[in-house]
Amino acid sequence: MFQSRAESLALVLPAMLFAAVIFIAPVLILLSEGLRPAGSWSLTYYISFFTTPLNLTVFLRTLKLGALVTVSAAVIGYAAALCIVNLSPKGRGQMVGLIVLPLMISPVARTYAWIVILGRTGIVNQALGALGLTDAPLRILFSETAIFIGLLQLFLPLMIISLVSALENMPRDAISAARVLGANWLQVFWKVILPLTKEGLVIGGTLVFTGSLTAYITPAILGGSKVLMLETLLYQRVTIANDFASASVIAMILIVMSFSANLLLKRLATARAKR
Amino acid sequence: MRKILLASSTAFLLCLSSAQAQERKLVISVYGFAQDAFKTILYDPFEAKCGCKVVVETGNSVERLAKLEANKNAPVIDMAVVATPDALAASRANLIEPIDVSKLTNYDKLYDVAKDPIGGHLSVGYTFYATSIVYRSDKVTINSWNDLFSKELAGRVAFPNVTTNQGPPTLYMIGKAMGQNTPDLKAPIEKVAEHKDDFVTFYVRSSQLTQLMQQDEIWAAPIGRFAWEGFAKMNLPIKWATPKEGQTGGMNVMILTKGAKNKELAYQFMDFWLSTEIQTKLAEKLIDSPANKEVKLDPKIADNLTYGEETAKSLDLQPADAILDNRESWISQWNAKVGQ
Amino acid sequence: MTSRILSTAILGAVMIFLIGPFFIIVAASLSAGETLAFPPQGLSFRWVLKVFEIESFRSSFAMSMMLAVFGTLAALLIGTPVSYALARYKLPLGETIRTIVSAPIIVPGIVVGLALLRYLVIPFGFNLTLALFMAHTALVLPYAVRVVSASMTNLRSDIEEAAVLLGCSRLGAFLRVVLPNIRGGILAAFILGFVTSFNQVPVSLFLSGPGIRTLPIDMLAYLETTYDPSVAALSALLAFMSIGIVFLAERFLGFSRYV
Repeated sequence: MFQSRAESLALVLPAMLFAAVIFIAPVLILLSEGLRPAGSWSLTYYISFFTTPLNLTVFLRTLKLGALVTVSAAVIGYAAALCIVNLSPKGRGQMVGLIVLPLMISPVARTYAWIVILGRTGIVNQALGALGLTDAPLRILFSETAIFIGLLQLFLPLMIISLVSALENMPRDAISAARVLGANWLQVFWKVILPLTKEGLVIGGTLVFTGSLTAYITPAILGGSKVLMLETLLYQRVTIANDFASASVIAMILIVMSFSANLLLKRLATARAKR
Repeated sequence: MRKILLASSTAFLLCLSSAQAQERKLVISVYGFAQDAFKTILYDPFEAKCGCKVVVETGNSVERLAKLEANKNAPVIDMAVVATPDALAASRANLIEPIDVSKLTNYDKLYDVAKDPIGGHLSVGYTFYATSIVYRSDKVTINSWNDLFSKELAGRVAFPNVTTNQGPPTLYMIGKAMGQNTPDLKAPIEKVAEHKDDFVTFYVRSSQLTQLMQQDEIWAAPIGRFAWEGFAKMNLPIKWATPKEGQTGGMNVMILTKGAKNKELAYQFMDFWLSTEIQTKLAEKLIDSPANKEVKLDPKIADNLTYGEETAKSLDLQPADAILDNRESWISQWNAKVGQ
Repeated sequence: MTSRILSTAILGAVMIFLIGPFFIIVAASLSAGETLAFPPQGLSFRWVLKVFEIESFRSSFAMSMMLAVFGTLAALLIGTPVSYALARYKLPLGETIRTIVSAPIIVPGIVVGLALLRYLVIPFGFNLTLALFMAHTALVLPYAVRVVSASMTNLRSDIEEAAVLLGCSRLGAFLRVVLPNIRGGILAAFILGFVTSFNQVPVSLFLSGPGIRTLPIDMLAYLETTYDPSVAALSALLAFMSIGIVFLAERFLGFSRYV
């Protein structure tokens, strides 16, 4: 360990200054603007934001979709991750590679595909019709369902990867031991797998949840102006009406949610370190 | 490593400065549709003629107006084309300055309605358009604005969002069809709210509609005539409705930013755009109906446009100031009833 | 045996869901028809070729490339010293420093973009390209610090100390001893930063002006005005580019060790 204060300061200073001036200061000013209508501290903007029914609907919809996507990603993620860890080490590596792959592709491209797939003449409706499950093509585009599907596809890889690494760290014989002792699969999952992979679930869940809250492209392309989410609402308020009051309130909501999710993560990490 | 970093940061600075050191450039702000055609018909020939560079910003009228206002103290845009209510809003916000029409050689060729649409020579009209409903004639027939709410069309209509240029005129015609034609548009907005689940989407850009029509997602949508071209070239039986309540519409105008850096170029560009040659070319591509009365069109093409002063006069238009003065309240009504 | 089949079925379904849409984009971009459709109407390369003819795509591609390359380099330039300091010195506020430089990961991009527009670009007449560059640097900084730190934790400090004792300057020791050893980490951070910056949308959403747009924003704008398959073609090309870069990195550097 080197000990010179001045040296260490010189090393971190450029990055700190950059982050402070370019990043932290403007964001803080933006947030404070929402708390200071007409130059004095007050919650006026917040009250008027939340008492506008449209805003409240959008806020609740964003939370609801975020939660739904997270839960679905967890369910599918466990199924997929359990399959993956049972593969040979080589197969496991390839599978993880394939799952990471979509993360490298532009989200515009990934979301764009759904317009074709989910349309009334798209393959989803064609398949449903051919199977006799629907009489007439379903209207999926520009709905919460479309946004849900788009977000799930965007963020599922993060959940799977987190769960795979959690399952890999689990004691190998835990599952077979429980099976030998007569537990059925459901019990094994609830009593053994879930408690032992809780941290992976929380990490994955945080990433998926905050990702869903702060996604812009998916609600913009698949929801349009009929099904707004917080990010698209923010964009609309600024671009159509120069309404920085609402923008600041939405920014605060997004930051607070994302921040608390990250705090939760950190808590968990330190709890693990102490153990 | 250090050498690489040094070399690349120099390269970066060069990139930055070269982006700035453009000698003569005109910055314009226009609608996003048909940019390919505008480039070949309008921008490229103008660049060749003036020896300058045309830099284009695209977006819809309201959005670009908001941007103009945000950059009020250091305007980047030299000239913009917007809808008449937005031009009026820009003039009230003190963002634009009067156009010296003596500098426009083609000014006298314009139809009278286009000469001074919002007064004070603050704008010049370059095109007007009818607004009506496009529809799949093999699936439905449309004779009235009320037909947008018909059973056959439930789940098959894209409706213009109230924030777009087509939103208020459409609501206005629906009000007329309902016989409740008050300026606050209360009745039509309520009617839309009642049927909101029957609309596929509240569109913000009409260009999106061709894809939706092609995919069978929608069978009908109220649009401006300028967007018709995309539908006309489709292999589907698509018609332009002539509702019994009449058609509405609007006009697009050119405005000159206050404090524009390249005023002379902006004037040259406006004049070029208004010339008979360019107006004819844009009309023949079914993009913008001409505001220049010397433009002579083949009847086949004229049928697909809003051609001639008589046609323009027959449109049932909302006055620009009525739109502007009521817009805030329409939007909040819409958000409260339709938006959620 | 049944569990084997079940496992294959589950993984197959998940992969179809995750990667299937990408193949549809590729197929649709090879369509000969006028609009985006699947199955494609005929086969042709006209939309792939059209991508190269659209001028705005060319300039926004150059813009995104420049932002991704130089933004990431800048982030590494200021981020690597932080990683080094965090690993080598007992910093009084180590955790705080880490939090501050990784803040851009927590704050949603759209908020950063808006804040920069409103408080740097508009009041100070800040050049938009410069603002975009800074936003992208800030965005990549957390990845740079994190990945380089990861490659530095396993590096013993005694060799470096020895070099200093033997008369090497501190900077010299860093350049000759430390840097060669964390080269892999820096490259990995560069690639990760490049991909992140190149695909980034929300940060750049508000930071656009006449003639200034990043590629994803330009694609979004093009999508809103024209529904021909050229955006699909461009998406496919970009995806192949990203995959190519990552594949090469994995092949030659063992990229996944660092991420």
